[in-house]
Amino acid sequence: MGLACAAILLTAGCSRRVAPPALVAVEHEISPAPARVGPATIGFKLTDAAGKPITGARIAVEADMSHAGMGPVFADAKEEGAGGYKANFEFQMAGDWVLLLHITLPGGEKVERQIDVRGVRRN
Amino acid sequence: MRVPVVGDLFRWRYARPFLQIPVFVLSIIMIVHGLFGPTLAPKNLATTLSWLHFRGILVLVLLCAGNFFCLACPFMLVRQMARRFFRPRFNWPRALRNKWISIGLFVLILFTYELFDLWSSPWWTAWLIIAYFVSVLVVDGFFKHASFCKFVCPIGQFNFVASTLSPFEVKVREQDVCTRCHTKDCIRGRREPISDLVTIRGCELALFQPSKVGNMDCTFCLDCVHACPYDNIGILSRLPASELIVDPIRSGIGYFSRRKDLAALAIVFTFGALLNAFGMVSPVYALENWLGRMLHVNHEAPVLGVIFTFSLIAEPILLLGLAAVLTRAWASSPRALLPLVVRYSYSLVPLGFGMWLAHYCFHFLTGLYTLIPVTQNAIASLGWPLLGQPRWSLTGLPANVVQVIEIGFLVLGLAGSLVVIYGLAEDDSPNKPMRAFLPWAAVCLILWCASMWLMFQPMEMRATMMSG
Repeated sequence: MGLACAAILLTAGCSRRVAPPALVAVEHEISPAPARVGPATIGFKLTDAAGKPITGARIAVEADMSHAGMGPVFADAKEEGAGGYKANFEFQMAGDWVLLLHITLPGGEKVERQIDVRGVRRN
Repeated sequence: MRVPVVGDLFRWRYARPFLQIPVFVLSIIMIVHGLFGPTLAPKNLATTLSWLHFRGILVLVLLCAGNFFCLACPFMLVRQMARRFFRPRFNWPRALRNKWISIGLFVLILFTYELFDLWSSPWWTAWLIIAYFVSVLVVDGFFKHASFCKFVCPIGQFNFVASTLSPFEVKVREQDVCTRCHTKDCIRGRREPISDLVTIRGCELALFQPSKVGNMDCTFCLDCVHACPYDNIGILSRLPASELIVDPIRSGIGYFSRRKDLAALAIVFTFGALLNAFGMVSPVYALENWLGRMLHVNHEAPVLGVIFTFSLIAEPILLLGLAAVLTRAWASSPRALLPLVVRYSYSLVPLGFGMWLAHYCFHFLTGLYTLIPVTQNAIASLGWPLLGQPRWSLTGLPANVVQVIEIGFLVLGLAGSLVVIYGLAEDDSPNKPMRAFLPWAAVCLILWCASMWLMFQPMEMRATMMSG
């Protein structure tokens, strides 16, 4: 047990990371910044591998907390301008959140992206 | 044991493996899902089951029944299977026959939990479960009897301390029957008449039933129940916490009042409850950042080290030391300071358990139904959506309802501690019990106020600190 905890202590920096496929690039911006409990807006810009804006994509936003036991918050993003999308949702509790973007590209391919939003503060 | 169906089950010789096998299967599912399932904690069975449901059910079963988790312990099932192939040869070293190692591991797990946010990592949660299995196999592979349970297992120590408040206990029905018994099968094991081979094991934790008092160190394994040829041992009801007030010599334990390690365990159990809850509320951000600036460090480990040292060492020494000084001065207690602290530290257990209950039940009840969508998702991810698509809208009870339950647990804990303190005070200072009662009651009141304050703090499900 002690060895196990020691192993966790020594190797904590080595947890696995899954690299996303490079089909699309996602730039995002969350407001308010820094994030606070309550209504929030996330804006994205989707571009393809050549840097061209991707229009006509469907994006479902799923906001989860990092802790088990919390239900996710869902929102659909609306397209605003070439390659620009915006979704409104709510941070219901202070703490660390993870935003999952379920992206369906115009050709039907599905892509997922994860955005960590650390330390959402209470008002 | 005389209740229909349940009693029949517990009297059955294979009751323990019957209960262990489902928990073992669940452990394997948690390990597999933790390692290969979703990396997000709210969607993974390892984190959902470990940090919500297991902990919540554990404390509720301890409160309402007894140490039935140790009875159904999956780690002991694996150990038992392994012992068919490897016979341990060594006795646990005499110098280590105490709780100090397990106290250290208990604190280490609390520390690791905070430092590496185990609740948010399915991967590390799975490895923690694996590590538990390996540790059990290594310790009990080398050492005889239930060395792991008695001297190492941090979960077991938690259960032992909490089960002093349980309404049920494994004990003898009639002492006269034990007095007439010459074979002492409950401790020696039932043996074949000629070969003297043990056919049913006696207590592996060295608890001799006729002189066993309370639930401390009892894993509810039922070995003694099955070994007794007179059916004179059962799971019987008793007054919760009553074992904390009396101080007879206890089989396998000795006197509570002389066991500094057990007292330290009770102290860590209680102050650790507050510390563990403090790690989940907003003010911990401010404190960590302030400490980081004061110490000129950016890493969380040294800051957590300071918080742990203060909470688990400095604070208890200050509060309990002061109470002991006042008890000697006001109540003319014949005991020296350290024995006084040891004696009264057990009175903190109900308060500490109240805090563990409030904390764990908050997570359990507010996330009660999340097991459904997480399981649906896990099965659907295998390509067989047998339970339908995940219903993520299922969460749990409203937080305001759960808060009432939390307050109830804290009030119950305080009341229990005050009753135990008064019982100890009457025994310790029969002429001035109220004077001996007041300092320790004041300590409990301070801790209770701190617990209530914690419960009303907005919770932050954070995985990062130190300015993130």
